This record gives sequence, structure tokens and C-alpha cells, in this order.
Amino acid sequence: MSRAWRAAMLAALLAVLVVALTPYVWIILTSFKSRLDALADHPVWLFTPTFAHYPKVFIDKQYLPLVWNSALVASSSTVLSLVVGAPAAYVFARNDFAGKEDLFFFFLTTRMAPPISVVVPMFLLFTAVGLTDRPAAVIIAHTSFNLSLVVWMMRGFFADIPREIDEAALMDGHGRLGAFARVLLPLAAPGLAATAILCFILSWNEFLYAFILVAFESRTLTVGIPGLVTPHGTLWGQVAAVAVVATLPIVIFTMAVQRHLVRGLTFGAVKG
Amino acid sequence: MAVAFRGVSKVFVDGTVALDTLDLGFETGEFVVLLGPSGSGKTTACRILAGLETPSAGVIEVDGRDITGLPPRERGMSMVFQNYALYAHRTAYQNIAYPLRVRGAPKADIDRMVRAMAEMLRIGDLLDRRPRQLSGGEAQRVAVARALVWRPDICLMDEPLSNLDALLRLNTRTELKRLHRELNTTFVFVTHDQEEAMSLGTRIAVLRDGRLVQFDTPGRIYREPATRFVAEFIGRPAMNTIDGVVADGVFHAGALAVPVPGRPPGPLVLGIRPEDVVVTGADEAAAIAVTVDVVERIEPDLLLFVRTGEVALVARSLGKTTDAGPGDAIGLALPPPALHFFDAATGVRLP
Repeated sequence: MSRAWRAAMLAALLAVLVVALTPYVWIILTSFKSRLDALADHPVWLFTPTFAHYPKVFIDKQYLPLVWNSALVASSSTVLSLVVGAPAAYVFARNDFAGKEDLFFFFLTTRMAPPISVVVPMFLLFTAVGLTDRPAAVIIAHTSFNLSLVVWMMRGFFADIPREIDEAALMDGHGRLGAFARVLLPLAAPGLAATAILCFILSWNEFLYAFILVAFESRTLTVGIPGLVTPHGTLWGQVAAVAVVATLPIVIFTMAVQRHLVRGLTFGAVKG
Repeated sequence: MAVAFRGVSKVFVDGTVALDTLDLGFETGEFVVLLGPSGSGKTTACRILAGLETPSAGVIEVDGRDITGLPPRERGMSMVFQNYALYAHRTAYQNIAYPLRVRGAPKADIDRMVRAMAEMLRIGDLLDRRPRQLSGGEAQRVAVARALVWRPDICLMDEPLSNLDALLRLNTRTELKRLHRELNTTFVFVTHDQEEAMSLGTRIAVLRDGRLVQFDTPGRIYREPATRFVAEFIGRPAMNTIDGVVADGVFHAGALAVPVPGRPPGPLVLGIRPEDVVVTGADEAAAIAVTVDVVERIEPDLLLFVRTGEVALVARSLGKTTDAGPGDAIGLALPPPALHFFDAATGVRLP
């Protein structure tokens, strides 16, 4: 690659970075701004920081348990999606049965309707079984979205593993279940990790269903934020503080498994 | 331990008949080669024996016991795959140890057996590597070690040498023969390479279009091929087979006339191995006059591709030299004891 190319690429990367990160940096800054600074006509970059928003919202307004709720919902729905979806994806990758591709497509159709169109029926369903305002309702709802993601992504990862690996595992003394759990799953680990992260992020960030299905103790962080929009105005500093805390686990998590994530997301795209 | 295929057929969902009522039996300690061109059903037969494929009809017996419905893990068989099928996330050592671990061997035994097997296959210094750090030949050895380490009753090999380069293939072949002798395990080896089959097998099952054509020792398959197909498939260069007609005890094919006393008149296929064709001078009375087309010197062999009219023949003279060149006229003799006869319609060997 020539020097000019390199420079152009770097400039492009920089532009993308600026566009992507400016809002995030802005939120971090806002979480330390006083109310006046946050609402200044001409946005200020330099200001005297205040550390009041964090304790105010998390301690005084008791938002701390919401972090736990979000974590519980996101991790439970991720685990549930994988536990149900990965074996299903494996069967789609390995077995042939009547209507297989139709069924596979059906999984995707669950994501085709705008989420809001299903929210009322789902609310009625959960009310009927008495699950509203419990984390279980949100966990199940999120699992139902994530399942299609897991099945669609994991099928590709399993399909990329040669069939002979399954057969070698069978010859080595496993049953089909053992071959799947002990040999295929570890081999699909990068894909599993990538899928898990996407599921976790989608669930963690989801607002609509979490908002409709739970109201009080079980609220997630995303649902908590609108509570800071008061009749007297939006408490921008506190909103920003919650937003920063809400993004932290994702940032840390993604950085920790970045290598796997990139490998997982491009896995199968390029055949070696 | 005796293994028997009894009327085993396999029809795939798309209607392909991979195996057509296969009957085949062999004994413990044999090195059985399933040989055939692609689509002959050899791999399917091997996979049915392993339990990786269910037959559409027929049964598989081991020592008279029907094992057709048993899952692979209960059959006491192992398998070496063409693409090795090593577990990429485990080291060579863990790969070899895996069947022992899954089958619940005691920890102390596992280490001893893995190291002994690695020693036997000369991969003792590669045990810490992962499959992608191994060359094709090394990966193949690890796969063989994994298949043999737990001392299965039968080791199945599906074209295990096809992905190796020529020299390595020869070495590994020798190695397998040695392993078979030392371990006294029954080997079932699938290949499309007749040379591999001839060098490895104690007996060779030749398959074609899902049917067993001949099951015999390499020597008998070579000397007494059951059909024209076997005759042409075994041996390089292939046996000369000539379509012709018998009239008055003489076989005629174009300009070629060979006396075949006692043969009934009618169409016939005459066969003769290239090395049985005798090259003589053009002027000898009994000789068949032919013209040399091409001369191939593959030391120490000499192959003469000749023709007389429409009929083409290959003559192979081991160690002898000739100064014949393309376009030269020479004479050939086809000694009567070396002649093979096949039915023109069915291809079946005639006495």
C-alpha cells in the first residue's frame, strides 16, 4: 500500500471515529456538567465539573438496582437464547427434514414485523399468565427476538465445521448429544461468543418491551431513563450519568472479547 | 471376529442407489480393501459398517450378531477420515487421547497408551502442537494414532492417503502395512487407487455401481479378474481388451487374427496383460504385424503402444530394450496361456 493510500485510509478512519464517538464523548461530558452548563445556548467544552449527578441518581433516586435488573435480564435472555437456539441451529446445519428451509425462514419472520406492532398482544399474553412486572416477562420477550438471531448466526458457524468432525466424535465414543456438547460447541466457541455478545447488547439496550412489560421494581436501566424527564424539564445531567453507566458494561465486555468478536463476525465469510 | 454384510443396500433420498444387495464377509486380522471408482459404493459400505449410515435393506453382522441398529460408539470400530477430521481446538496429544477419555480409560493408562502409539507412528515430538501446526502427513499420523490408540476391533479408513503427496503416500502405505502386522487389528481400507489396494490388501473387494464384482486376494484378482471391468481396473498399464468375433476357432478383430481353438463362434472379448505380450521381429512367421505408435520409457519399464488397423495394444517389456521407434513395423506374439476371455455382452470371465 502506498503512503498516500495509507494517509487517506487513516483520515477516513479518523472521520468515522469522530462521527461515532462525538455523541458518546458528549454524554460523558454532560454527565459532569451542572444544569446550567448542560443547557447552555452555546455548548461548552470547558466547564467546572460536578460529581453530583451520579450519587444523586443512583443513590438518592435508587437507580442502582436497575443496573442489576438490566444485567439479570440481558444475561438470562442471552443464556436462554443460546441454550435453545444453538442446538436448533446445529440441527438446521446438519439434518435434513421436510420443510426445513421454510421453518428456518419462519424464525426470521419473527423479526420482520415492527416490534411495536406486537407489543400489545404480547402484553396481553403476559398479563394472562401473570408475568407482567417481573423480570421473567422481559427475559422471555427478549429471548423470543434473540432466538432468531442465534439460529441464523449459529447455523452458519456449525455448517462451517466439517461433518467429519461430528463423525469422528461419534467414532471416538460419543453419542450425538455428546458430540454436540463436547466437540461441536467448543469448536464453534468464537461464533458462540459473537452471538452471545450481540444478544446481550440487544437485550441490554432494548427499551420498548422492557418499558411496556415492567413498571416498578423490575425496571431496567433503559426504562429508568425516561423517569428523569420531569414536568419541570429533563434532568440532562442525570440522564447522561445513567447513560454512561448503561454503556460501560458493553464497552468493557466488547473490548475484552474483541478478538473473538471480530473473528466470530467474519467467520465463514472468508473460506480459508 | 468375523464381519458380514448380508444383502446390504443403500438408496439415498434423491434416489441414488449407492449399494445394491452387498454380500461380503471377512475375518479378524484381515486387511480388507474396498476398491472401486467414484460412485461405486465403497465409501457407503464403509460408513454403513461404521454406523454412520443406516442401510436401506440388509444387515451387518459381527460374529453372527446383528449390529445394524447399533450406534457407532457401541461397535468397537474407529475411523480415519480423508480430511483427517482432527479437533482443531485440541493438541495432537489431546486428539489422540480423546477416544480413551471418552471411553473412560484410567488416567494413568491414557498417558502410557498415547505415548506408546505416538512412538509407534513417530510423532512423539509433535504431541504439543495443534492440528493447524501440523503438515498433511503429520496430521494423518495423528488421525491414525487417534483411531488405533484404544485398540478397536476394526479400524476403518476412508481414502486416508488421498490428500497426501505421492512420496508421502508411499511411505504412509508402508507404515500402515507395518502397523497392521504389529497390531493385528482388522483394517478396512477404502480407496479408488488400485495400486494402493494391491499393495495393502490381504483381500480386495472390487465394487462397481454399488455391486460387489470380485472379492479375492490381490494375486488372484490380478491373474483371474472376474470381469472385464476388473481386468481393466487393476494393473497399470491396464490389460489390453479387444472386442472381436470368433469364427472357425480364430478370434478376429479388424486386421488382428488370434487362434483360439475350441472357442464357440460369436462375439468375444480377448484380454492380455501388457507384460504378457511378446515383442518379436517383424519377419517372424507367427508374429502379428503391428506398427509402433508411441514408445514410453519409464525405467526400468518400456511401454510400446502399437496398432494394427483399428486395434490398439500396449506391450510392456521389463528390462529389455528395443530400438523400435514410432512408425516402425514390429511383430507381436500373444502366448495362448496368457490370454483372458470375457463374455462380450456381460463382461464376465469365461474359462
